[in-house]
Amino acid sequence: HPWETVTTAAMQKYPNPMNPSVVGVDVLDRHVDPSGKLHSHRLLSTEWGIPSIVKSLIGTCRTKTYIQEHSVVDPVKKTMELKSSNISFTNLVSVDERLVYKPHPHEPDKTILTQEAIISVKGVSLSSYLEGLMANTISSNANKGREALEWVINRLNAEIEEFTASARETMRNSMAAAAFVEK
Amino acid sequence: MNSVGEACTELKREYDQCFNRWFAEKFLKGESGGDPCGQLFKRYQLCVQKAIKEKDIPIEGLEFMGPSKGKTENSS
Repeated sequence: HPWETVTTAAMQKYPNPMNPSVVGVDVLDRHVDPSGKLHSHRLLSTEWGIPSIVKSLIGTCRTKTYIQEHSVVDPVKKTMELKSSNISFTNLVSVDERLVYKPHPHEPDKTILTQEAIISVKGVSLSSYLEGLMANTISSNANKGREALEWVINRLNAEIEEFTASARETMRNSMAAAAFVEK
Repeated sequence: MNSVGEACTELKREYDQCFNRWFAEKFLKGESGGDPCGQLFKRYQLCVQKAIKEKDIPIEGLEFMGPSKGKTENSS
């Protein structure tokens, strides 16, 4: 998909069926910097489907994990960069992710995504130790991310069609009503 | 999609609709002429900041970014 489509979808990524644990998204800050790039700081709330009996023991405020996401969209250079890291009450494991979306250099209708993740336990980076283990998870998550955007793009297209159809209907109805009143 | 503060979800939806339209139709096309969503954003922001304080979410350097921040009212 072209870069503009992917970027628009990425801004509206949640909710989607591939990430059912994301239950809340909020924009903490957003501004366009002097060079024209859009910065957004967002907070994502996730719930991991902890059984309710556990929730009642530890309290619901501890079952949510929060992810802080900073994105920068450069509409001139056509890049979108996303950096996210999780905030949790235990601060034991942290995952930092970086994604960059750019138009494909040779095929303008495609977008290239580069993605990296750094996992640390108590501040010590485990990237070398867990490399083999995490590679599968990360690449399957990367696929999930692509599927999620694909889903959002389809939904946006369907919404546009629905909106156009209902706008036509509304206009028809109001024209009929106006004609009736004028009589 | 809900907001972290249940009371803010409606404000969030209004703001999101405004933003998504501006983003796709203006910003990406290179017309960054003023963001029409400023008012909606401010109201939504105040609500979210209150919810985050109430839920004690430890966000670093939170409400203190961006030139668009006005004075936040102290919650009672």
